[in-house]
Amino acid sequence: MKPTRTRLAFAAALLFIGLPLLLFARAPVPSRTLLKDSLSILTILAVALLLGQFFLARTIPAVQRAFKPPRVQALHRWIGYGAITVLLLHPFLIVLPRYFEPGVRPLDALVTMLTSFDTLGVLLGLACWLLLLLLALTSHLRMRLIKRFRISYRAWRGFHALLAAGFTGLALWHAIELGRHTGWLLGGFFALLAIAGIALLARLYLPERHRPAPQAEGLHI
Amino acid sequence: MTIKSIHGCIGCGECVQSCPCDVIRLDPSSGKAVIAYPEDCQICHLCRLYCPVDAIEMSPEKTLPVITPWG
Ligand code: SF4
Ligand code: SF4
Repeated sequence: MKPTRTRLAFAAALLFIGLPLLLFARAPVPSRTLLKDSLSILTILAVALLLGQFFLARTIPAVQRAFKPPRVQALHRWIGYGAITVLLLHPFLIVLPRYFEPGVRPLDALVTMLTSFDTLGVLLGLACWLLLLLLALTSHLRMRLIKRFRISYRAWRGFHALLAAGFTGLALWHAIELGRHTGWLLGGFFALLAIAGIALLARLYLPERHRPAPQAEGLHI
Repeated sequence: MTIKSIHGCIGCGECVQSCPCDVIRLDPSSGKAVIAYPEDCQICHLCRLYCPVDAIEMSPEKTLPVITPWG
């Protein structure tokens, strides 16, 4: 049975939106104000969609066949920019609700948070933020970088994949260390998606001789 | 127990310093906040209000209204 566009889109929505939302709802933590829970959902969806990027990076031929490469690339680009924007704003979104509550001022909360260098989770978060910024900048300026450093597009894609895989590993570690909702369920689910995505990427960028032989289907000699 | 849970603590120690009753301590091994003397809590909310990452969750059934100077 050939996967149709509708089936693929449904599977993707289920995997990268439906399941994360379900696991968010099932997380054994008390619910909070509407604003705080909405910000948590936004962050979780951004992480899930960013993990979904691995599956839009030429790694699944059925997706390329069903949606055509230019459309997949456009989707990859816009989901990437959207999710990265949300995650770059993540430290500021954490303290945003403080504007509407008594207690610590948002700016003071941000400074305390960003200077708690004794905590591994915070250091991981800072490293992730910088990697994410680098990922966004190098994606946006890719054509200029390719020209400037005289590298092939394939080499740039390899660098982009390496950066994405590095960011994903650190981000998951950070989320498992500090995430309110990333317990065994959501954390485990994200880890599975990341392992599957990085494995697919590694397969794509393995040297030719390590790749499986092309399928004979369609060859008439 | 008044404090229901502490999730996502970054170990900054703000709650330890803001608690007037010395209820909270930083766990030396994990570096994160723990409720050391739960029976001493007077439900003043200061720890929750001064936590920069909003890690402290109070039990609503044991919550007193927060009194602020503006109302
Ligand atoms: S509510 Fe007040 S007394 Fe209780 S732990 Fe927090 S700061 Fe201390
Ligand atoms: S104020 Fe919050 S983040 Fe800081 S130590 Fe206390 S619970 Fe942890």
